[in-house]
Amino acid sequence: MNKLKSGLGAVGRFFADFGHAVADGDIFVKLSLVWFGAGYLGRKQYIKSIIMTIYEAAIIVYSVLVGIPYISDFGTLGTVQQESVFNPVTMKNEFNDYDNSFTILLFSVITLVIWAFALYTWMYNVKNVYRLQKEEEQGRHINNFREDLNDYINKKFYVTLLALPTAGVVLFIIVPLFVMIFVAFTNYDQNHMPPSALFDWVGIKNFVSLFGGGGLTDTFGYAFVRVLGWTLVWSFFATLTTYFGGILMSLLINGKDVRGKAAWRVLFMITIAVPQFVSLLLVRNFFADNGIMNTILANIGLTGFLQDIGLISNNYIPFLTAPGWAHVMIILINIWIGVPYQMLIANGVLMNIPSEQLESASIDGANSWQTFRNITMPYVFSVTGPALVTDFVKNINNFNVIYLLTSNFYTTTNQAMANSQAKETDLLVTWLFTLTQDYYNYKMAATIGIIIFIICALFTLIVFNRVVARTGQGDFAS
Amino acid sequence: MKKLLALILAMAMALSLVACGGSSDDSGDDASSAGSASSAAESEGSATESEGDASEADASSAGATASGETISLTVWGAEEDQTLLAELVEGFKETYADYATFDIQIGVESESTAKDTVLTDIEAAADVFAFADDQLVSLVNAGALQSIDEMDAALQTYAGKSVADIEAANGSGSVTAATANDTLYAFPMGGGNNYFLYYDSSVLSEEDVASWDSLLAAADAAGKQVGMTLASGWYNASFFLGAGFTTTLNDDGTTGIDWNGTSSLGYTGVDVVKGILSITGNSAFMAIADGDSSNQIASGSLCAAVSGTWDAEAAQAAFGDGYAACKLPTFTVAGDQVQQGCYSGFKLIGVNAYSENVGWATLLAEYLTNEEAQTARFEARQLAPTNTNAAADEAVAANVAIAASSAQDVYGVVQTVGDKFWDPAATFGEILAQNQLSADDDDAIQAALDELVSGVTAAIE
Amino acid sequence: MKKKTVKVILKHLFLALLVLVWLVPIIWLVVTSFSAYNGRNTSTFFPTEWSTIQYVKLLTGTDTVANFPAWFMNTLVVAIANCVVSSIFVLMVAYAFACMDFRGSKGLQNLSVIVNLFPGVLSMIAVYFVLKALGLTNSHLGLILVYSGGSGLGYLIAKGFFGTVPKALQEAAKLDGASEARCFFQVVLPMSRPIIVYTIINSFLVPWMDFVYAKMILNAGVSSQWTVAIGLYNMLDKSLINTYFGQFCAGGVLVSIPISILYIIMQKFYVEGVTGGAVKG
Repeated sequence: MNKLKSGLGAVGRFFADFGHAVADGDIFVKLSLVWFGAGYLGRKQYIKSIIMTIYEAAIIVYSVLVGIPYISDFGTLGTVQQESVFNPVTMKNEFNDYDNSFTILLFSVITLVIWAFALYTWMYNVKNVYRLQKEEEQGRHINNFREDLNDYINKKFYVTLLALPTAGVVLFIIVPLFVMIFVAFTNYDQNHMPPSALFDWVGIKNFVSLFGGGGLTDTFGYAFVRVLGWTLVWSFFATLTTYFGGILMSLLINGKDVRGKAAWRVLFMITIAVPQFVSLLLVRNFFADNGIMNTILANIGLTGFLQDIGLISNNYIPFLTAPGWAHVMIILINIWIGVPYQMLIANGVLMNIPSEQLESASIDGANSWQTFRNITMPYVFSVTGPALVTDFVKNINNFNVIYLLTSNFYTTTNQAMANSQAKETDLLVTWLFTLTQDYYNYKMAATIGIIIFIICALFTLIVFNRVVARTGQGDFAS
Repeated sequence: MKKLLALILAMAMALSLVACGGSSDDSGDDASSAGSASSAAESEGSATESEGDASEADASSAGATASGETISLTVWGAEEDQTLLAELVEGFKETYADYATFDIQIGVESESTAKDTVLTDIEAAADVFAFADDQLVSLVNAGALQSIDEMDAALQTYAGKSVADIEAANGSGSVTAATANDTLYAFPMGGGNNYFLYYDSSVLSEEDVASWDSLLAAADAAGKQVGMTLASGWYNASFFLGAGFTTTLNDDGTTGIDWNGTSSLGYTGVDVVKGILSITGNSAFMAIADGDSSNQIASGSLCAAVSGTWDAEAAQAAFGDGYAACKLPTFTVAGDQVQQGCYSGFKLIGVNAYSENVGWATLLAEYLTNEEAQTARFEARQLAPTNTNAAADEAVAANVAIAASSAQDVYGVVQTVGDKFWDPAATFGEILAQNQLSADDDDAIQAALDELVSGVTAAIE
Repeated sequence: MKKKTVKVILKHLFLALLVLVWLVPIIWLVVTSFSAYNGRNTSTFFPTEWSTIQYVKLLTGTDTVANFPAWFMNTLVVAIANCVVSSIFVLMVAYAFACMDFRGSKGLQNLSVIVNLFPGVLSMIAVYFVLKALGLTNSHLGLILVYSGGSGLGYLIAKGFFGTVPKALQEAAKLDGASEARCFFQVVLPMSRPIIVYTIINSFLVPWMDFVYAKMILNAGVSSQWTVAIGLYNMLDKSLINTYFGQFCAGGVLVSIPISILYIIMQKFYVEGVTGGAVKG
């Protein structure tokens, strides 16, 4: 809450400063409102003036040529349906000047981002020019261009550092994200696929239908609840098992009397060195119904035994093909690939435990369990606690493990789920992937994506406020 | 303060976007100018002028306007087709060398997944691509396929055959499979995309393979199994189709299905399910996971398996001298012996409606599916020709697998299902394969069929 | 004393057992890659007939399904480029957030956490069309941009590590008149070898692991342009698995060897980097 207030305060201050600058600025400052370079010209900063003028020109040119045409279609997402006629003379199709809803959406978002940035620089520019005016009035030194540049490897070095990475994130993460958030409010699906068809805004209809409001397969809500349930169960177990597995394995290897510690570690690490798409696809063939594991178990008679006691109904163990079995196996296989990595982390953390604490504990006659419980775990937890939360969120979105182990491999026998293209082993992300890749149901996929975000955000907020804040780790940016 | 940030970031972004926006505008302009040009007087003049050309002269003079041009095309075909495609493309270049030079790139795209890749970005997809016929309606509805009917003039001018000629040259089933909304949307490339029974004649006699009952009994006696994929709508539909049930494909891409009712032959869906359950309940029956058939055939525990021509090599290797194939057996429905049906699938080659050179792409697609190409494809990958002349070849008739495929085709129907069919049908098959339904429980079977129908008939979104 | 010896032996035996469990699939990968049989061997763990034919076919036969040398080179190029760009991005962002105090720092960091909560698969199609707008689909450059473009968000561990570099050193350098940039390059970076190595390895590995984006962006169906991940993934297609499983295993081994060596050599740095970062991060 406080953070929110201070954030709003900063924004408010920014606007207030801007207002002051406009009100109190001289003619050059006021001129800067329409001509970015004016203020610098007034202070004889010619190069900056030219640069800002070019910048302004670029924005105007972009807006006129690209931005405004797309933004003006943003409300309708296009109205002209594609039509084409074949011309036998040129041997080409002749298209009308049709609209592509997706391109309109994409470029509208890009334009909005650029305009938001332009607005910010516009206000900042005016403030900045006003500051120059003040400096001049007070007779202080005004930076020349070289000195300004110098600032960017000095006190404004962060600007230099962040510029390109931020541009990359905006273009490849933020813009696509906003596009997909918008898609959740449209009817972009198999019946409305650009370029041949247009899609349109539908308000919150998709959210209503996801929560059983009709308009979809009546099983969609049912499947959603089941998939969500397994997503949470999976994330919980996947996070905890690998976390504690890693600590235990590390403790085991680091035991006083264990020889060849490095060699043991390397042996376990081989599983993380094999790319997941190799190791997981391999493992799924290893545990296939007719795979090598089943052959071995049948040969030693275990399969027959399980069949006799009624645990399995077929003459193989459905490791990855029946609900229950598959859920457990997926978590076990995740331990297989996840624990070595956690072991590496735990290993480093354990080496940092203050040795005095351990010594004093052993002097006090504590046994190894007590030491583990009272000294090791609290220390490890205080250090890696926040990572546990990020791991949980990562597991909610753990696409690779589930997709590689089950896609085209696991056939559900739950008809209600099958009718919504889901299966028991699906996470929300893999379901979302199926919906987009195989069924082009982008609108529902985007809706589910937003729900995933809300779940993750709520979880992160609650945990950080309740648990992590108590252990003194502060807010989640620290 | 942040002027440099402003400069680097925004300028770079703005400029690059101006640039790329500009380029995308260009393409828009192209389209618009082309579109307006068709109505403009100037272009009308040129159109009539060249029309005169075309009517007055033969193909070569029409081609003269195009010669010297380099036409770039891309083709997608299956892995198995790559070598053949390279040869055929060379042939195409030679055949049409008088009109233009061609720069043709060949890419790999499995016929069974072509739709997924094409629909992700139609504009980036190949000009000409091969696909399985069940994808036709989705592709047509997404506007990805060029109507071949519209290309009649171009085909007559350059290839010397009309659309009607092409339709006449291919088997009627394949033409139906390539047609949607009464319009031909693709060229039939190959047929025989159905399934039949491979068996080991040293274990099973011809009488044994006539019905599932005798087949399973004989297999059991020999200590072997009979395999079939159930967890796929493509396979498990065979039982229902045989008993007179149908699926229909509506123009909006939704599927109609009547398996929970009573068929034209008077059987109920419950009867059929009971018939399947009596097969799956037999210990000599093995439910094969979808796509696992060649592996299972190779494993040696089977004496017969339901599969298609693509498994011919595996079956030949596994059964050796006993290698044989025939139509599917009959199975018991409500006390009667009913012949198992099947979906007859076809492989088609379509033309991307967004192709830059849609005319030449159509001619290439035609060339890749003409009689010679189909004969060559049969020799290269044992794909049954749809071209009636090519299919009449003695070598085709002598092929054990293709002969069985044609024998089964008599009981086949053209595959008319939409996208929503597959998942529910696969799940239904998996339920049967795992014996999760009891043959005594009519209500449960009916409920499962109702659920199947409601999933399959769901609206497309 | 004797009781203790037994305990030690038991401990080692237990570890050996664990290692066995951990390595069984990997051993299966290796032995299958030396099988003469092309498909999946489902009846015996070890191949009935040993051979190096899978490697020979993979490395010399360049049909459209198995074009390993080309894939390897493609992936290597993409990996190196991504490695350079991503590492620079990550280190730059981490330094700005860890060592510099500026207005908006907190806000930007919170924003990055929020963005990370969205599932990445969701925006794949939009990323594709952004690339298309830039005219970079179906090119390795586009792939590099997608891998490295958003890499700035993965700064957390590096930031944690930079936080452990004593502030006093940086301040001393600045008192001597060093600029912020000089401080970054000559004080903080030289003390951060573990995290640099960690960042480099991580970004180097991305193209070897990813098959989703790569498949989407390199969509011309020209197999000589593929990366190792798409190529090997493709071999397990239903229609191909029974002819190419052996080669898939061979390819898996060939990819894993350089990565394993990288991990083993860099193990020390890697552990220091990740824990140094995690302790603070």
